[in-house]
Amino acid sequence: MIADRTAATTLLASIASFSYHGDPSPALRGVEVAASPGTLTAVLGGSGSGKSTLGRLLGAWLLGGRDGTLAGSLQLEVAGHPAGSAPLRFTGAPDDPRIDPGAWARHVGYVPQDAAAMLSAVRGTVEEELAFSLENRGVPRAGMVRTVADIARRTGLDGLLQRDPATLSGGELRRLAVGCAVVDGPGILVLDEPLESLDQAGVRTVVELVHAELARGTAVVVLSQHADALIRAAERWLVLKGGEETAAGPPARILQGGAPAESGVVITSPEVVIPSADREPEPDPMPAPPPVVTLPVAGAAAVRTKAALELAGVAFGFGGRSGSSGKEGSLLLEDVDLQVMPGEILAITGPNGAGKSTLLRLLNGLHRPLRGDVRVADESIAGVPTGLVARRLGLLFQHPHDQLFERTVLREVLFGLDRIFGTGAPERAQAALAAVGLGDSGNVHPHELPASGQRLLALATVLAREPSVLALDEPTVALDAHGLERLTDAVSAAAGRGAAVVMVTHDLRFAKTHAHRLLRLDGGRLRQF
Amino acid sequence: MAARLNPLTALTAAAAVLVITTAASSWAVSLTVAVGAVLLAAAAGIVRRVLLAAAVIVVPFWLSLLVIHGLFFPEGRTALASWGPARVTAEGLTFALEMGLRTAAFVLVLMVFSFSVRIPELVAALTARRVPPQVGYVLASTLLLAPLVAARLDKVRQAQESRGLVVGRGIGSRLAAIRLQMVPLVLGLVHDAGIRAQSLDARGFRSTGPRTSFTQVRDSAAQATFRVFAILLALAAVGWRIAESLPAGSLSAWFLSGAGGG
Repeated sequence: MIADRTAATTLLASIASFSYHGDPSPALRGVEVAASPGTLTAVLGGSGSGKSTLGRLLGAWLLGGRDGTLAGSLQLEVAGHPAGSAPLRFTGAPDDPRIDPGAWARHVGYVPQDAAAMLSAVRGTVEEELAFSLENRGVPRAGMVRTVADIARRTGLDGLLQRDPATLSGGELRRLAVGCAVVDGPGILVLDEPLESLDQAGVRTVVELVHAELARGTAVVVLSQHADALIRAAERWLVLKGGEETAAGPPARILQGGAPAESGVVITSPEVVIPSADREPEPDPMPAPPPVVTLPVAGAAAVRTKAALELAGVAFGFGGRSGSSGKEGSLLLEDVDLQVMPGEILAITGPNGAGKSTLLRLLNGLHRPLRGDVRVADESIAGVPTGLVARRLGLLFQHPHDQLFERTVLREVLFGLDRIFGTGAPERAQAALAAVGLGDSGNVHPHELPASGQRLLALATVLAREPSVLALDEPTVALDAHGLERLTDAVSAAAGRGAAVVMVTHDLRFAKTHAHRLLRLDGGRLRQF
Repeated sequence: MAARLNPLTALTAAAAVLVITTAASSWAVSLTVAVGAVLLAAAAGIVRRVLLAAAVIVVPFWLSLLVIHGLFFPEGRTALASWGPARVTAEGLTFALEMGLRTAAFVLVLMVFSFSVRIPELVAALTARRVPPQVGYVLASTLLLAPLVAARLDKVRQAQESRGLVVGRGIGSRLAAIRLQMVPLVLGLVHDAGIRAQSLDARGFRSTGPRTSFTQVRDSAAQATFRVFAILLALAAVGWRIAESLPAGSLSAWFLSGAGGG
């Protein structure tokens, strides 16, 4: 039922304008996309450039009429179906054509930035999740079994078919989301930030998957704010800024101009990053941004200065302490020793699932060690509620979605701030928002911010508290070039006033440039990188 | 054990047991059913979760029963103690005990069912019987809602604690924390549901044509027979209960008058 090659499909989109309901200014204006069989098109742009809106329109996750006002046309040319290839023209009038998202998805598969949003959430295994849209289309079971097996092979999910989707790692989840999108055999694939927050192994499998799809004749559109190796393989770039096209054409020509940098695109290594399985890639030769200026890291003088953060013989596992000593094998972390001095910036790297986020959660007591001691500002946090540890240690969560819970940006930063600063809280909140560039967005709902803005807002909630230790979980993820600058400034400023910074990251380039020390967490222990 | 069972068989069995327990209206039957449910849960290795979840529902209910019927039972004759209008009567306590046991049996049976059934299989079994898939989805997401809400609530709590919220052991502190968490919880769930709807649309969930099921649900002639038998048994129990509750002789009187009238 799924052929070796997909039906040659071309998608032509001409968006004269698209505005969300209730939003006075258009989110997109004058954007043209042409995706032809077997080609890779990259849509680049910084935070808030309109990339995700464009991706959702192409994938019919956003519909003119239902979700906003669309003027322009969408045209699908599917080989062998000349009748259905006429352009759909939209004027924003009530009698505009209506797209059936389910029928559209058979030709255009869209994978959102948050891969988990793709899942139905009511299927218990990977194979059931893959089969979901086939079930909805009434495909006979024998055909479904064949297709699911085929898609599993193509997406490298073979060994995971019986797993609960909720237990997959980031890279596996991304592949499942792509699998769910290609299971109907669409000729067009639209991927929104497909490499985000993946470790090197995850990046490798997704890049391989994209190239395999291209080889099958699928037209692939990748939306990204990083001009990384995958994006550099594209035939054509389209750069967006503020919802408008600022450059379009072959990558080499666009790189010579300033449009990507101006939009906030992060430009990294030109080399194809397909590292071997067990090694992190070499640092890329692009000119590195200047290192941060901080207090000199205490060397011999450390004897006098007390560590801002200290872990001694810390062990942790999710099995809990209920088991007897036989539980040792299931420990995620064992004998972790660490000292971070005031003003020091430490980066920790390691593969997905190594326990990096867990380590950070041990620092403020969200998790408690099975053995060993965690000391913040020279006091043990054993038995101290997280809410009190939070006065001295600020934690940036891995997913802003988990950290943000208030109705407005300002309320978000203000939460709990009065307990530290009393009447000075509003002033601190404003200052923290201004530091991350959200000074004018105080009344916006956090969910309405672009992904980059949400990450920066989460950072502001940490900065506002002026903790003596900052624990940052993947702080660079989702940030465009402007956001990375804000992050760098914030981290230097915090270290400059004597705070210790511990960050967990896959972004080795950022870590090597900005950290005084780089450690690797692997096999439950911290090692020198 | 439970994995081999068709989810409809388990559902029918649970429903039949509930109907029969209600019809029997006897503390001995309720107690037997409750103990049986706990033993089943133990056999399936889910006894801890079942008991915890059941306690959350049953304990407040028991307390209210005790207050309402234990203290103020109008038909109570045998007063054991009294304070003004409140009288602890033997009849009231017996009634509270019976109601309490019956509720416990109910809740335990439902918990054993919902913790042991594989929800995708239940949905598949329903789809195969032409139940609209939307109903199946709502049922599945309802049964899955509790863990989802718990996970989301946990995240909100962690986010708030990381920003200085101290949840004490006292009930006041906990109530205050719950008040702070409710709005973020509901808004977060609604936001997630909005995103989920777009994905479901794209994956053809709204299509009106015929559907198929990937999940194969085991069934057997023996299970089908058992389901029919369970339903008949439940119906018989209801019939018997109705007959019991009519005043003595009224049934034959009705027949006689009917015959006389015709």
